[in-house]
Amino acid sequence: MGLKRFAIVALALLAGCATVPPPEPGSAASKVLATGPIEDVAIGPMRMARENGFLTVSAQLSNTDTQNRTLYYRYLWMGPEGFPVAEADTWKSLTLYPGQTSFVPAIAPVPQAVDFRLEINTP
Amino acid sequence: MNRPFETLPMFLRVSFLTLAALLIGGCAENRSPVLGSGNISYGDPKAVELVTNEFGSTDLQMIAESMTRSLAQSGVLKGRPVVQVYDVMNKTSEYIDTREITTSIKTQLMRSGTARFASDNTDMQSQVDHLKLQNQSGLYKKSTVAKTGNMIAARYRLEGSISSIIKRSNDYKDVFYKFSLQLVDVESGLAEWMDEKEIRKTTER
Repeated sequence: MGLKRFAIVALALLAGCATVPPPEPGSAASKVLATGPIEDVAIGPMRMARENGFLTVSAQLSNTDTQNRTLYYRYLWMGPEGFPVAEADTWKSLTLYPGQTSFVPAIAPVPQAVDFRLEINTP
Repeated sequence: MNRPFETLPMFLRVSFLTLAALLIGGCAENRSPVLGSGNISYGDPKAVELVTNEFGSTDLQMIAESMTRSLAQSGVLKGRPVVQVYDVMNKTSEYIDTREITTSIKTQLMRSGTARFASDNTDMQSQVDHLKLQNQSGLYKKSTVAKTGNMIAARYRLEGSISSIIKRSNDYKDVFYKFSLQLVDVESGLAEWMDEKEIRKTTER
């Protein structure tokens, strides 16, 4: 019986540890949509501005590995209601050298875009 | 002599028959809206295509996306000016349908609402033929006929080129593409906007 109780408490504790709190709205993490675990790539600050009526974005990505790392990414463009206002961008390939930090810029395809999501895939 | 099925109460008989019909129907039903064999599938048209290192769909999409957004966001196209698009010169050794690049650029600029397009060299003949048909055939009601001499002249022309450098060794094939595009003011002849997109693709044998 004691063993059973111990197992239940241990499972509850483990479940508690595994629960990742959701990212804060508006934070860089809240803009990232990962299509699987992001391995050896650190996502840094993101800059968002409006230039000549179009939303422009730049995200900082760093390779934390000691080897070249190829990742795939694309931006999705959202309207004021939080839904896409244009077709998703084409997936693009980016190679980062060991320890390299790169800035991935993008311009929204339509002036209606007010927000974005960065979709990342690390194969 | 009564058969066992007929001895059952009516509601049980009906239930059995309904169940049998459902089972037979269920087996015969195609559970997904697909016809044909499983060897063919639809893929993501926006996926990174790495089948060979020749010019491919991802290159076309990346070029059109990059050029369109750079031009739209540059601020040159204020007041939705009329633009005439010329064919992109293919200076590579490959066959590339460059008209598809300009068509994608036109479509995306149109979607962004930043430019209008005059008939380009391929559309012009159809445009002229149709104006002549309306004005000279006598087939159309006069009040609905499009008048000649009202076509809008382009303020800018958009022209570009694509070139490539290919290097081969025993172990590698390296292809470097450079796509350049410029927007020229027709009246002044000045290039008001220019951009280029570089793409490198390497195959290790």
